[in-house]
Amino acid sequence: MINFQYARPNEVADAVRQIAADPRARFIAGGTNLLDLMKSDVEQPSRLIDISRLPLKSVEETPDGGLRIGALVPNTDLAYHPLVESRYPLLASAIMAGASQQLRNMASTGGNLMQRTRCYYFYDIATPCNKREPGSGCSAIEGLNRMHAILGTSESCIAVYPSDMSIALAALEATVRVMGPGGERTMAFADFHRLPGDTPERDNNLEPNEIITAIELPPQGFAKNHSYLKIRDRLSYAFALVSVAAALEMDGEAVKEARLALGGVAHKPWRVEAAEAALAGQPANEASFAKAADIVLSGAKGFEHNAFKIDLARRAIIRTLTQAANGTPQSQSSKKIR
Amino acid sequence: MNHTPADQPQPAPTADAPRNGYTINGKLYFAEPQPGQCLRTFLRERGVFGVKKGCDQGDCGACTVWLDGTPVHSCLMPAFRAAGREVTTVEGLAPPDGSLHPVQQAFLGAQAFQCSFCTAGMMMTCAALTDAQKEDMPQALKGNLCRCTGYRAIADAMHGRAEIAEDIAGEACGASVPSPLAHAIVTGEARYTMDVAMEGMLHLKVLRSPHAHARIRAIGRDRAMAVPGVAAIFTWEDVPRRLYSTATHEDHLVDPDDSYMLDNVVRFAGQRVAAVVAETEAAAEAACRLLEVEYEILPAVFDPVAAMAPGAPRIHDERGEERGNIYADIHGEIGSVAEGFASADAVHEMTYSTSRVQHVHLETHGSIAWQGEDGRVHIRTSTQAPFIAKQKLCHLFGLRPSDVHVFTERVGGGFGGKQEMISEDLCLLAALKTGRPVQWEFTREEQFIGATTRHQMTTRVKLGARRDGTLTAIELHVVSNTGAYGGHASETLGASLGGPMTAYRCPNKKAAGYAVYTNMVPGGGFRGYGSSQTAFAIECAIDELARLLGIDPFAMRRKNMILPGDWIESAWNDPSDVDFGSYGLDQCLDFVEGALAKGGGLPKPEGEEWAEGTGVALAMLECGPPTEHRSGAQMRLLPDGSYHLAVGSTEMGNGSITSHRQIAASLLSARADRIAIVNADTDLAPYDTGTFASTGTVVAGQAVRMAAEAMRDSILGFARRHTGADCRLDDNAVICGNERVGLAELYAIGTRAGHHFEAKRKSYLSLRSVAFNVQGIRLAVHRATGEIRILHSVHGADIGRLINPMQCRGQIEGSIAMGIGWALTEQMVYDAEGRMVNPALRNYRIPSYADVPPTEVFFADTYDRIGPLGAKSQGECAINPVAPAIANALADATGVRFPHLPLLPDRIFAKLAPHA
Repeated sequence: MINFQYARPNEVADAVRQIAADPRARFIAGGTNLLDLMKSDVEQPSRLIDISRLPLKSVEETPDGGLRIGALVPNTDLAYHPLVESRYPLLASAIMAGASQQLRNMASTGGNLMQRTRCYYFYDIATPCNKREPGSGCSAIEGLNRMHAILGTSESCIAVYPSDMSIALAALEATVRVMGPGGERTMAFADFHRLPGDTPERDNNLEPNEIITAIELPPQGFAKNHSYLKIRDRLSYAFALVSVAAALEMDGEAVKEARLALGGVAHKPWRVEAAEAALAGQPANEASFAKAADIVLSGAKGFEHNAFKIDLARRAIIRTLTQAANGTPQSQSSKKIR
Repeated sequence: MNHTPADQPQPAPTADAPRNGYTINGKLYFAEPQPGQCLRTFLRERGVFGVKKGCDQGDCGACTVWLDGTPVHSCLMPAFRAAGREVTTVEGLAPPDGSLHPVQQAFLGAQAFQCSFCTAGMMMTCAALTDAQKEDMPQALKGNLCRCTGYRAIADAMHGRAEIAEDIAGEACGASVPSPLAHAIVTGEARYTMDVAMEGMLHLKVLRSPHAHARIRAIGRDRAMAVPGVAAIFTWEDVPRRLYSTATHEDHLVDPDDSYMLDNVVRFAGQRVAAVVAETEAAAEAACRLLEVEYEILPAVFDPVAAMAPGAPRIHDERGEERGNIYADIHGEIGSVAEGFASADAVHEMTYSTSRVQHVHLETHGSIAWQGEDGRVHIRTSTQAPFIAKQKLCHLFGLRPSDVHVFTERVGGGFGGKQEMISEDLCLLAALKTGRPVQWEFTREEQFIGATTRHQMTTRVKLGARRDGTLTAIELHVVSNTGAYGGHASETLGASLGGPMTAYRCPNKKAAGYAVYTNMVPGGGFRGYGSSQTAFAIECAIDELARLLGIDPFAMRRKNMILPGDWIESAWNDPSDVDFGSYGLDQCLDFVEGALAKGGGLPKPEGEEWAEGTGVALAMLECGPPTEHRSGAQMRLLPDGSYHLAVGSTEMGNGSITSHRQIAASLLSARADRIAIVNADTDLAPYDTGTFASTGTVVAGQAVRMAAEAMRDSILGFARRHTGADCRLDDNAVICGNERVGLAELYAIGTRAGHHFEAKRKSYLSLRSVAFNVQGIRLAVHRATGEIRILHSVHGADIGRLINPMQCRGQIEGSIAMGIGWALTEQMVYDAEGRMVNPALRNYRIPSYADVPPTEVFFADTYDRIGPLGAKSQGECAINPVAPAIANALADATGVRFPHLPLLPDRIFAKLAPHA
């Protein structure tokens, strides 16, 4: 780790001013990802702007019946928040599927959105990586790409975005509130993260001088019919090979409205509205689910070691939608067989 | 390390005091963290050594502390963020009145630790859990990894189940008495290798090769030397040019002398290239980056079969053309397998393979070396074999044995990984050259790329049997990838062709094995030691053959398993020194079959997409290695009437200091806590080959038994002469006739009379007994997505008399957890250039709490006539039947045989039909 300067603003506006003043400065909230990246020399900030004292730590109901989650609310507090548990259990479930107690205690809501990929090559400064060093090449395309993307890849980058929480937020159609020098703006969740294209160094559409202040959830929480399924190599504390967030509004035996987002398969939470539309009004059965899965995965492209993800994702989508339709969400606890 | 006043607790701040005070366990410190310093190292620099480093990346939880009462990874917390906040570590967990926190008490009561390196962090997480969170321990403990226990004892602690037995005079053996260090462990006072601050300490870091095979043309060191704080740089030109093997065995000829401390040829990616010592770790690291190495890249080969082919790149040129890259090959045949297969009604032949895995002892390798005021050199290190390490250091540096002192403090796990000298040498080199103490602690990444691994083996098995199941022929062909260096290569190869084949009676057996050099990270000793690899192949094959014949897997095994009185042989005719000291394989099989039939564990998850299956596998172990192994123990009666016991063997979480005390206490009719034990110290204890090959009980324990008996005879002999009556020991006294003489009094009388209350004995391993383990598994596999859930795990162990039942169970459970990791979750991934791409605990996945089911453990009722007080070996063999039992259960559930480990979801789901 290299030496750096340290500052601790108390106001959002002050934080924005400080980040704008130094292109090599970084915000630090929970720091769980940033410190790790600094220890690997992937991040070498000149200055850390500690935002942990900014007043962005509350969870409040919005006038329209939704929820506004401050950017600095720790993941643990969010997962256990009574309003999240009761009205947005899909979100609570996804958070509990990720990380560990200690990490969730430190990690913030906004920071979770800002998580960087855990691509082996991104972390290994001895190897080329377009995300870390634009123009240096991608080691994963021809390399060990078992954990990598099958959707939305580019010739520059096939990294996946690692968050579990964001997959649920995508399915729930959250919005992201950000503050910049010019004031506050709102982004749809789908617009927040980017596909790699030829600028994989940019994970998202946040401007360098902006800060996330809050995540807002619409009133519809799909509390009755939802599931978050995460397929991984061990039962806990492992990134997803494939994860699926499914949320359904049922009308008897039929699907009235569907939301479907995938993790572990792309550079951003993967959502295909056509697949959701195709489910609307259809009977909640395997045939409908398989059809939706095929739409989601149309255009999927496997690489040498991850082609399995296409079929695995298809099966996982069907399974998750089945769980959601039956009202039997995947449990993130009691994984241990006792 | 410089102890500035800022390292000490300070009085309460005055109004004009600087703002960044740090409250650590209620004491206020004023100190400025170094730029970029994390809280973990900041705390340790203040002497708070209960905060451990397992990964330094937020994956393992060993460094967990509380920040204002909330558990966090101190390795991921910038130290400056703790300013003005309350930091609590394990040292601050207990209330000030000297009692223990309830969680400490619970961990003590359940002895919820083995090597205990994870314990402080584990307790800090557990002590912050709400009652609701305690209901879901798999979720609550996601962030704390334990490699030793298999988590059951930790679950027991959290459920308030206490296991420890009372320490009663004369009844120590067979009782679950606690570790002598239990209190120190739960309070964080137990000291591990790196838990010490020394004046003037230098830090060593190593530059490792990015290339799998290269010649070093030049190393430019000017830029590196210019880094402030750098004291010295060492390359291959600066080290004694002496060949040796990093592997440790009593017989130095069983491992090839094929390594230099630093070499001008690197043969695997991760090999040491140069070492830098500097005032700080950061400076040493920075200097390593600035070394300018000019490599001449050489052709590399990673696959052992390719390495055997003519024209393959040669890993060790000097070995001569005719040997090529084959380091060792072993061949043997008894009877005629050709005739055996000709007379078979069914033949199964298949190639099975097992993967390279790492030990992941939570304490990484590390050493501290210094020159003492006594003119000798001292090496404090994390090793399973301090005495052999000393011999090797004498050899490398031309030192007299009397000038070298090697010792361990508490060792945080080994599992065979520390049967290796890979950190001591460079620390000693640097200490000798600089005259200052030097420490080197491996990073977690270095453990993966620069330490040893389990040998990857590919095994072709061919089995033939008659219609009634009687085996007619067994043929094995094993190729072992030993990597760039040959330590343990021939011994693991020999073991691979031993126990797993010996376990079955069959008149015709044939074996061929090859240990082959490649440009991979070297193989080494690893719990199970070669036998695990072929036990997987043979136990899967036995099931397949049974399936062909329509015979039940248990019946197939009973039909063919070795029985008392059988000639114990693998595939060669040489007589061995192995005999049946006892036999309980039959009991183990009966138990496992019965327990699986009875049910228990969890029901199959709901839904027809979950398929269920059961599997069994057995394993046989020859107790102790075929190579020479010896140990010594020494006892003294002390003036206060208590005892001193010195044993050479290392305690690394295997529990030997506990069981050795019990053996001695039992023979001296004393309470265990009357015996103070020192161990694994070349100055303070008699010679011991090392704690490996399951010898802690059968060799070192045997030495303790002999020394304790001699101690007893010495006391009773003097007492009889003194009193003229028949005497017996009773805890802290001798009873002679009607008279009770305290041992302190007897000591005073005897010493005045010139009697020496001392004894020393040595043991040597031969005869060797046999031990057995049987694993049963019921599992469910999801047909659509390939996830495996172990529903029921049962294990029968025939390990003779249990010196400490609680510890024995812990060793078995830890082995099972490690077997589950090998079978299901662990995988070292290499790119085309031979570089490991996942050298971190988040990407190399050892089982977490959620992955390990509880196991019903059964112990066969046997008493061994060879081992000490009826005990047999038990530290390793329990792992051997685990992976094949899982694979057999998976085959039973799906009808598909998966012959290659690990059984990851993506490897299996595609072969499963989503619907039954």
